[in-house]
Amino acid sequence: MLSLWLRRLSTDRIVRLRKHETSVPLVVTGKRGNVEVVTAADDAARQLGLTSGLALAQARAMHPGIDVVAEDVEADAALLDSIADWCLRYTPLVACDRPDGLLLDISGCAHLYGGERELIADLGGRLEKSGFAYSLAIAGTIGAAWAAAHYGEPASYACGEESSVLAPLPLSALRLPPATVASLARVGLKRIGGIIDLPRAPLTARFGPDVLRQLDRALGHDHEPLTPRLPVAPYVAEQRFPEPIGREEDVLAITVRLARRLQSALEHGGDGVRRIELSLFRTDGVVRRIAAGTSRPLRNPEEIRALFVERLAALADALDPGFGFDMARLSVLVAEPCPPEQIGIAGGEDTAELCRLIDRLSARLGPRRIRRLVAQDSHIPELAETAMPAQAVNGDTGWSTFRRYRNEVDLPPRPLRLLARPEPIEAVAEVPDGPPLRFRWRRALHEVVAAEGPERIEGVWWSEHGGPARDYFRVEDKSGLRFWLFRAGLYRDLAHGAGAPAWFLHGTFA
Amino acid sequence: MIDQLRQRLQALQKAPGIEGRPGALPFGIPAIDTMLSGGLARGTLHEIAATGEAHLAAAAGFALAVAKRTAPSPRLFWVSEDMAFAESGVPHGAGLDAFGLAPEQLVVVSTTHRRDLLWAMEEALRCGATTAVIGEMRAGAIDGVAIRRLSLAAAGSGTLALLLRTEPPGDASTAATRWVVGAASSIVPGTPRVAAQLVRNRRGPTGTWILEWSDSDGQFILATHAQPLAAPALDRPHRQVA
Repeated sequence: MLSLWLRRLSTDRIVRLRKHETSVPLVVTGKRGNVEVVTAADDAARQLGLTSGLALAQARAMHPGIDVVAEDVEADAALLDSIADWCLRYTPLVACDRPDGLLLDISGCAHLYGGERELIADLGGRLEKSGFAYSLAIAGTIGAAWAAAHYGEPASYACGEESSVLAPLPLSALRLPPATVASLARVGLKRIGGIIDLPRAPLTARFGPDVLRQLDRALGHDHEPLTPRLPVAPYVAEQRFPEPIGREEDVLAITVRLARRLQSALEHGGDGVRRIELSLFRTDGVVRRIAAGTSRPLRNPEEIRALFVERLAALADALDPGFGFDMARLSVLVAEPCPPEQIGIAGGEDTAELCRLIDRLSARLGPRRIRRLVAQDSHIPELAETAMPAQAVNGDTGWSTFRRYRNEVDLPPRPLRLLARPEPIEAVAEVPDGPPLRFRWRRALHEVVAAEGPERIEGVWWSEHGGPARDYFRVEDKSGLRFWLFRAGLYRDLAHGAGAPAWFLHGTFA
Repeated sequence: MIDQLRQRLQALQKAPGIEGRPGALPFGIPAIDTMLSGGLARGTLHEIAATGEAHLAAAAGFALAVAKRTAPSPRLFWVSEDMAFAESGVPHGAGLDAFGLAPEQLVVVSTTHRRDLLWAMEEALRCGATTAVIGEMRAGAIDGVAIRRLSLAAAGSGTLALLLRTEPPGDASTAATRWVVGAASSIVPGTPRVAAQLVRNRRGPTGTWILEWSDSDGQFILATHAQPLAAPALDRPHRQVA
C-alpha cells in the first residue's frame, strides 16, 4: 500500500500557474466562520511562522510583504483528480485521500518498475519534476502507510515492520478525531507506542471503539477497504514505449496490438467487450481517455480498431499528443459473456453486419443518436414506446406482446409519425364532445371534412400527475391531410371543478 | 491502346442502376411498372419529395411502402436531422406495424448536421446490412457530389436508397427517379390516398397517379374511384416505353 501526501498542493498549484518565480512568501486564505484565515502556506511562509489556521489579519500584521491568494477548493480537487489519473500508470487501484493525498494499492505492480523502492524513486522523480512537494510511504496497511507518509520520513518504506515504525509517531497519525487525541493526551498518552500494549477493554470503554479500530487497521489486524476512484476493469492490457508516440496511425496500431493481447484473455474467460476504454498517458502527465461502446460482445481486434477509428475521427478536439504518449492502456470497462462465434446460421451474417454498422455510427455520432423502438407497457400513446440506444437494446423489444394486445383489443389505427409532445391547437367543435369542425395548427387553418372517433384513452388516474382522459379523433382536412387529434378532458367533468378541455395534435397519418 | 482506354472509361462511367441493374422493385401496379421498365431500380438513389411540409407524412408513407417491398421482412434504416424529428414527429412503431413494417427491424438515426446525415447514410448503404435506407432532409440544396456518392454506395451493396425531402427541390439531380408526393382526399374515410407524381425518370417517361392504400394487399394500389384523375404522361412522348 502506498500513501502519497502532497503537502503543499494548493500553493504548488498556484506556483505552477505562474510564469516566473518569486521569492515572496505565499499563503492561501479562505473564510472559516467569519474570519479570513490562512489555509495553506508555502515553505518560505512556513519558515516565517505562518501556519494554516492563523487569521489573515494577524499574518499580515506579522509580515506585511506576504503574497495572499484566495483558496479555490474545486481547482485543488480537480488537480488531485488529474494526479490520481496520472497515477493509474502505476496501478489501477488508486483512491483519493482528500483533500491532499492519494492511496495506491501497488501489490503485484511494483515488479514492473523493478521493485517497490524503484517505483518510489520513479514516482517521486516525476512529481518533483512537475513541481510538487510530496512525501510518500509504502507499508503493509493503509493506516501505517498514511501515518508514515504524514509523520515519518519522506519516502519511507515500512513493509513488515509496521509496529516499530508506528510506535514513535504521535497519536494523530492514526487518523483519529482531534477531540479523541486531546483526551488521550490528557491522560498522558501521546505516542502510538503508548497504546499498543495497553489493555483493550478499558481503552474502548473510555475513548470509544475508534481508537482501537484505527490501531488494528494500521497494524493489519483488521481489514481496511480501499475505494478506488474508478471502477477496476476486468481485463486490461498496457504497453509502455521507450520513445513517445504521437501519430494517429501509431495509436491505432498499438490499439490493435493491445486488443490482440486482450483477445486471448477474453476467450479464456468466455467474455466479450461491451464497453472499452483507451487511456493514453502523455509525457507531461495528462491522461487522455477515449471510450467506445459496442452493441454485442466483441473480441475481434480489427473490430475494436474500427471503433477507435470512428472515435478518433469524431473527437471534438484533436488527439493533441503534445510531446507524445509514453504509455497506452486498453481496459475493458464492461464485459459480457460471449458465446463462441457461429458461422453459417441463416441471417446471422446480416445481424453481425448490422451490429458493426450500429457500433461504427454510435462511436462517431454518440450512442444516443442511433436508436431502436422498444414497446413499453403503457396505454398512453407517447409512453407506449420509447426509442432506446440501439447498443442497449438486446433481445426482446416487446413488439410481439404489443401485436398480441393489438389483436385482442382491435386497436384503432395509429399514426405513422408521432410528435415528440402533443402540440396545442385551437379547435372549434360542433357539439362539445364531438370532433372538431376546423382547427388551427402552426398558424395554418384546417377544415375538417371527415372524422373518426372518439377513441377514449383514460389518463393515469392512480397518479397525481396523470392528466385527464383523452378523446382521440382521426380527422382528414380538405386537402387530404390526415391528423391524429385529441381533446384532453371531458365536458362532463367541468361540473366537478376540472379545467376546461383543451385540444392537441399528436400525430400525422400517411 | 485507345480502345483499351475507351473500354476502361466506359467501365468507370457506367451509371449505377442503369446498365448493371441489380434488380427492379415492382410496385405491383402495371401502369407505373411499365414506365419504370419493371419497377424502381434497387441499388440506386431515388428522391421522394413532399409537395409541401404538411404533406411530409404522405411522402413518408409512400417511401415506407416502397421500402416495404424490398424484402419479405424489410430491415430499415431511417436517418434524419434532429430538427426534422422534432418538427414532423418520430416514426411511431404502432403505426409502422399497422403499415406492415416490423418496428423491431427499424434503426432510427438522428444527426445534428447535414454532413453527418450524408455520412451515416453512406455508411449504411455501403455495409448493406439493411434492405432500405431512408434519409430525411429539410429544405435546402444538396451537393451533387453527395448524391453521386450515395448512388455509388447503393450500387455497391444493392441497397435501396431513398431521399425524403420536405419540399420539391428545384435543383437538378443525379438520382434515378424523383417523385413528388402529396396527400389526396380519400373517398372511403380513413383509407390513405396519395397523389404520386413522377417528375424525373432517367429511364423513361414521367406521370402522375392517385394511389390508395389497400390494407388487404398491404400496398398501394391505383385508385379506381372516379376521382379527378391526373392527366396521362405526355411530357416526353418521343421516348419509347421499354
